[in-house]
Amino acid sequence: MHNHASLKQRLLMLALAMIAAVWIVAAAFTYFDARNEFDEVLDAHLAQAASLLAVQASHELDELDTEHAPQLHKYARRVAFQIWERGELLRLHSANAPQQPLAISKPGFSNNVIDGNHWRVFTTWNDSGEYLIQVAERADVRNDLARSIAVNLLQPLLFALPLLALLLWVAVTRGLLPLDKLAREVEQRDPEALTPLDAEAAPHEVLPLIERLNRLFARIDAAIQKERRFTADAAHELRTPVAAIKAQAQVARTASAEQERIHALDNAILGCNRAAHLIEQLLALARVDALGDVAVEPCCLSDIAAGEIAALAPLALAKGVHIELQESDMVPAANVRGNPELLRMLLRNLIDNAVRHTPSGTAVRVSISNDHGEISMSVSDDGPGIPEQEMAKISERFYRPIGTPGEGSGLGLSIVKRIAEVHNASLQFTPADNGRGLRVTIVFRQ
Amino acid sequence: MRVLVVEDDALLGDAIQADLKQAGYAVDWMRDGVSADQALTTEPYAAVILDLGLPRLSGLDVLRRLRSRSTPIPVLILTAMDTVDDRIKGLDAGADDYLAKPFDMGELAARLRALIRRASGKAELLLQVGAIRLDPAAHRVLYRDQPVELSPREFAVLHALMLNAGKVLSRARLEEQLYAWGEEVESNAVEVHVHYLRRKLYPELIETIRGVGYMIAADKGS
Repeated sequence: MHNHASLKQRLLMLALAMIAAVWIVAAAFTYFDARNEFDEVLDAHLAQAASLLAVQASHELDELDTEHAPQLHKYARRVAFQIWERGELLRLHSANAPQQPLAISKPGFSNNVIDGNHWRVFTTWNDSGEYLIQVAERADVRNDLARSIAVNLLQPLLFALPLLALLLWVAVTRGLLPLDKLAREVEQRDPEALTPLDAEAAPHEVLPLIERLNRLFARIDAAIQKERRFTADAAHELRTPVAAIKAQAQVARTASAEQERIHALDNAILGCNRAAHLIEQLLALARVDALGDVAVEPCCLSDIAAGEIAALAPLALAKGVHIELQESDMVPAANVRGNPELLRMLLRNLIDNAVRHTPSGTAVRVSISNDHGEISMSVSDDGPGIPEQEMAKISERFYRPIGTPGEGSGLGLSIVKRIAEVHNASLQFTPADNGRGLRVTIVFRQ
Repeated sequence: MRVLVVEDDALLGDAIQADLKQAGYAVDWMRDGVSADQALTTEPYAAVILDLGLPRLSGLDVLRRLRSRSTPIPVLILTAMDTVDDRIKGLDAGADDYLAKPFDMGELAARLRALIRRASGKAELLLQVGAIRLDPAAHRVLYRDQPVELSPREFAVLHALMLNAGKVLSRARLEEQLYAWGEEVESNAVEVHVHYLRRKLYPELIETIRGVGYMIAADKGS
């Protein structure tokens, strides 16, 4: 799991981050709310102190000589007051009060900066209008109080977070147990076992994963079965020609008549050719089967057809079969995007097939048409054709219709089918024009 | 000795046919299951060599049909499918032996001889009647321990009669054993072969049952 993001760590980090964020937001709200409350309460105190002073000033100020009031509390250093006679003469003030007025003489609350200190000031006149009373408090008192509240709120978080982390780790681990169980189950699987995973006991969230996995298993299983079948078939198909070669060679060794011996040796050579052809076709099929994306380029079907016909014509003529190329008037030419090598292989297999199955003295027709941009190529023969019910089977591997001569590999049309697939072209099997024979048509979708 | 070879592969069938002919068998060769099934309902074969992967009717189906008619002809399966499962299936369907491709022609011939010997109910390798000993494997006949030169057909007639010692074989039955399908049966061929056999061995060996056929008397106690 190293180097990979851990689901547990992720869940844990997210949960802790969320908790911390909510806590901090709550603390912030509390802090600002508390500040507002302090402001209200402390402002009320200022106002009350001022009105007390106003009342006292009216009755007792005449009897007072001293200009300084005593200091009674540590916070008193931060609270100051001034009493001005008629707003001009400073009659009484607290020890820490400055000499200049704490604020302008307009009644009410105001904020002022004196000697670098922030003061909150309440100004009022006494009832007779003789004295101006100003009560002030240093603003940092309020800040200190609010800060200590915020710290008290946030401090538990420092201890709570590690504890929460521990508890969450346990919870997350327990919560993810079904996932661990699933992982173990998959890990301990026999690599051959492609049976579906049990979706019954799985948690809802991993169901899609299990379903996908099961579908993947099914696909892999099908592919493996197909490969196994193919290998078994291929082994079977290769054994028969080898058995034939061996049997013919043994017949040649024990033959008493010269003619018999030569016949057996010729047959052994024929068997070797057949085995070689089969091996080549197997390799070609394996190669085209493994193809993913192929390099494509514009290919002229007419050129490819002409080339392949020229290459195969001598063999066909030896069998008494003509190969004809039929092209409808094509404007524009039948150019398709494809891989020229694969298209040649496709056509070679189709023509080879047709020549094998058509009787001597008939013709194999290769035709290319361009019908409003739909380009198709077909190869037809005069052979016995394929019964309707077997049409679907003929591109299966090693399928040979009854009565076909044994020398075919049974793979030609499988190769053709695969090359058509790679070119996104469709493959159609129909009787040829004369009602018998087979016509194979490739339609290119461009 | 007439045998049926059922094999769809042209080259392999040709080789088996040629080899068995050399060994003195009359060989019919069928290339699909349906023809093989038809041949088996009409012709009296001494043994069948059967490929399993056949067109039209699978070898196993041919075998099942054969056994459903309670025909005791020995059957040797010849196939490229050689997993244990395939062998079990083949033997359970009524085969007597199994040979996987590619095989040795000598082994095929030996197994065929063994099948025919067992089917005749005789355990000895050599057939013996009186002073005559016949070795089917070596294609040899000894009379009083002296080798006797016989043509393949004479050998086949003698082999058939000795295998069925004590039973009368009709002329038609002997002809069927001697000639494969499509082979021209020479008239009086059996009479001619019997004639030569009597001359090369001794006249009393083969008895003519007039209007029925021929037989070799079994040894007392055999």
